[in-house]
Amino acid sequence: MRKETREYKFDWMLWTMFDAGAKIKKGFPKEYSHSLNYMPYFRGVIEPMLATGDPGQKFIECCAAYLDNLVHSRDKGFKTAITTFCFSPAILYAMDIVPVCLEILSVMQTLTGKRGTAEHLDYCNEVGYTETSCSSQRGSLGGYLAGNGAEIDMIVTDTPGVCDTNANAFAFAAAYLDKPFFSLDMPPELNGVRSDAYHLGDFRALIAFLEKHTGKKLDIDKLREIMQRIQKQDELVAELEDLARLRPSPMPVTFNFMVHASRFLFAGMPECTVCLESMLAVAKENAAAGRSGLSSGVEKLRSFWCYIDHYTQNLRLWQMLERNNICYQGNILSRSWAANAPHVKEYGTEAAAYELDLSTLDSMILGMALLNSRMPMIKSIRGPYDAKNMWLEDTVNLAKLHGADFIVYNGTPGCRNTWGMVKMFARDTEKAGFPTYIMYADAFDDRVESWEATQERFEEFLTVRGLL
Amino acid sequence: MIVAGCDVGSLTSKAVIMDDGRVLNSVIIKSKARPWESADEVMKAALDGAGIAMNDVKYCVGTGYGRDKMKFINEAITEIACHGRGARWLLPTAMTVIDIGGQDCKAMRLDRDGKVVRFMTNDKCASGTGRFLEVMARVLGIGLADLGEMSARATTPITMASACTVWAQADVIAHLNNRVPIEDIAAGVNNAMASRMAVLANSVGVERDVCMTGGVAKNDGVVSALEKLLGVRIKRIRRSDPQMAGALGAALFAHDRVNGGSR
Repeated sequence: MRKETREYKFDWMLWTMFDAGAKIKKGFPKEYSHSLNYMPYFRGVIEPMLATGDPGQKFIECCAAYLDNLVHSRDKGFKTAITTFCFSPAILYAMDIVPVCLEILSVMQTLTGKRGTAEHLDYCNEVGYTETSCSSQRGSLGGYLAGNGAEIDMIVTDTPGVCDTNANAFAFAAAYLDKPFFSLDMPPELNGVRSDAYHLGDFRALIAFLEKHTGKKLDIDKLREIMQRIQKQDELVAELEDLARLRPSPMPVTFNFMVHASRFLFAGMPECTVCLESMLAVAKENAAAGRSGLSSGVEKLRSFWCYIDHYTQNLRLWQMLERNNICYQGNILSRSWAANAPHVKEYGTEAAAYELDLSTLDSMILGMALLNSRMPMIKSIRGPYDAKNMWLEDTVNLAKLHGADFIVYNGTPGCRNTWGMVKMFARDTEKAGFPTYIMYADAFDDRVESWEATQERFEEFLTVRGLL
Repeated sequence: MIVAGCDVGSLTSKAVIMDDGRVLNSVIIKSKARPWESADEVMKAALDGAGIAMNDVKYCVGTGYGRDKMKFINEAITEIACHGRGARWLLPTAMTVIDIGGQDCKAMRLDRDGKVVRFMTNDKCASGTGRFLEVMARVLGIGLADLGEMSARATTPITMASACTVWAQADVIAHLNNRVPIEDIAAGVNNAMASRMAVLANSVGVERDVCMTGGVAKNDGVVSALEKLLGVRIKRIRRSDPQMAGALGAALFAHDRVNGGSR
C-alpha cells in the first residue's frame, strides 16, 4: 500500500467525496462544473447520478449521511460493526451501531478512486487472504486491516454455509483485528415452525451479543420506529419493482444500484425513505408519460442479472447498457422478499416471504430474523434443503415477470457458491428460453479481466445471439 | 584461491569466477533447452575470459533451476540462498531483496549476517516475472530495455488484466488497436508487474535497505512503480550487474567452503 494511501483514512476520504458530491449541484452551474474538476475519478459517476435529478441527489445525500455517521461514530456515541450485504442492518441501527457493510464500501471506492480498491485487495493478500478470496470484501476490508479506517468494535455476519468465502473473510478479520465476532447460522429448511424457532433463538443470541458489546439494552420503541421505516421502504421498493414490469421500463438503469445500497446499508435510515420516494416519483412520472428510464428514451432490450453487477470505475457497465439501449431489470440483490413484493404473489411464493409484525418484541425479533434469512445470497443462492432449485426458479420467474430478453451472470473469482453450479444453471435458463451469458470478470477488480475485454465479450454475446 | 558460481536460469545462464573475493570475470548467455549445455557453455566462456582452466577452480557452486544437472560443480545450493548472499555482497546494507527472474520472482528478508530468514515466491503464472515483460515488449514492438523509459512519459497508465500473461497480452493488443499511446500501455505493464511484486515484498515485511536483483532491476519503470507502492526507495545496485546476483552468491558460497565456512 502506498504511503499516500495511508495518509488519510479511506472511509474519511469517501465521506469527504460524497459530502462534497451532495452539495455541488446546489451551487451555480459554473460552480458545479468547476467543482467536478476536484473529483476527477468520481465525476464519471456523480454526473450521471445527479443527472437523474432529485433521486440521484437524495441518494448521494444518503451516502454522505451514512458515511458521516461512520467516520464520526465515536463523536456521536455509536459503535461500529463490520457486516455483510446479506445482513439486514435494522437491528444494528436499533442498537446505535453503524453497519460497516464491506461490499457496499468496496463499491463506493471503485466509484470514487483512481485505483479503485486495488491496494486494499493486495493488502489482504499480503496479510493472508488468497487472490481468489472474495474481492467485494477485500476491497474495503484491506483498509480496516491496515488500520486505515474508522475504529471497528465488532464483527457480525450470517453467511456460514451460505457463502463460505464470505464467512471465512469475516472469521479471518475477527482473528486479525482481535474483535468480538458473532455469526448467525441458517437452518436447513427455509420455512416451517422448526426453522422459525431456530431463527428466533439465534437472533436472540445475536441481540444478547450486541447488548454485551454496546453496554446498552435493546430499545423496543427505537426498534419499532426503525422497522416501521423498513416496512415503508419495502412498500416503496415493491412499487418500484411493479413499475419496472412496464414496457418501456420507466426505471433509469442506476435505480437498481440505488435500491441495493438502500437495502444493504441504509435500510431503516430516514434518508433512505426520502431517496426511495423520490425514485418512485420519477418512475411514476416516466410511466405516466410512457417514457423509458433510459437516457435515450429508447428501450431495445431488457436484461436480467441473476447474481451481481460490475462495479468498477465510472459505472461503465451502466454506461454500456445505456449506449446499447438495454434496460436493467434488476438482479437478485434488488429483490426484496417482503410479503408485498409483486413477484411473491405472482408466482406463488408467499411461504418464502417475510412479514414484519411490530406488535410485540417477540414478533419484531422474528420479523427481523426472517427478513435476514431472506437476504440475497441466503435466500436465493444457498438454497435450503426444501428448496434446492431456488436460485434457478427465482431467476427464471423474475426474468419472466420483468420481460427480460436475456440473463447475465457476473460475480468474482471468489464466488464459489455460484461457480459450482453456474454452468448447469445457465443450461437450464437457456432451456427456459433465456439466452444466458456468463461473464468471467471480477465485479470489483479490473486486473482480473480488464473492462475493455469484458465489454467486448459481452457485446459479442449480444451480437452472436442475435439480440442486437 | 579461485572459486566459481554458476546460475542456470530459465531464460539466461550466468557464471562468475572469483579469486579471493574479487570478481575475475562474469558472463551471461541465453539459456539453451538443456540446462547442462547452458552450464557448460557459460562456464567455459567465463573461464576463457579469465584465462584459466576448470582445474584451477578449487570449488564451484551451482544454482538456478538447472543446478542439479551441472556436471562440474562441487555443490548445488538453492536460488533463494544464493540470491540473498549475492545481493548482500552487491549492497552490504540490504535487508530486503526483491528478485525478478525470467520465470519466477521472489522476495527475501535477510538478517544482520546476510542469511535469508523469510522468503516468498510467486505462486501464479508469469505475470510477475521477466517473461511477462518480455512478452509485452514484443507485442508493443519495443525493446525490453525501452519499457522503463517509455513508461516515464505516460500520462494515463492503463489498467490491465494482470492475473494471466496471455490475457494481459490480449489487453495490450486491444489497447494498441484502440490507439492508446504506447507510453500509457508500457506504464500499465510496469505497474501491473510492480503491484504483484509489492504483495510478495510486503508479505515478507519490507525492511530498509531494499534492493532489486535479476534482469528486471534494470527496468526503471518497474523499480519506480514498486518504490511508490512500497513507500521506500529501492537502492540501485552499482557494484555489478544485478542480474548476476545468483551466480555471485554461488561463488561467494564456494569461497566460504574453501575457507572452511558453511552456510
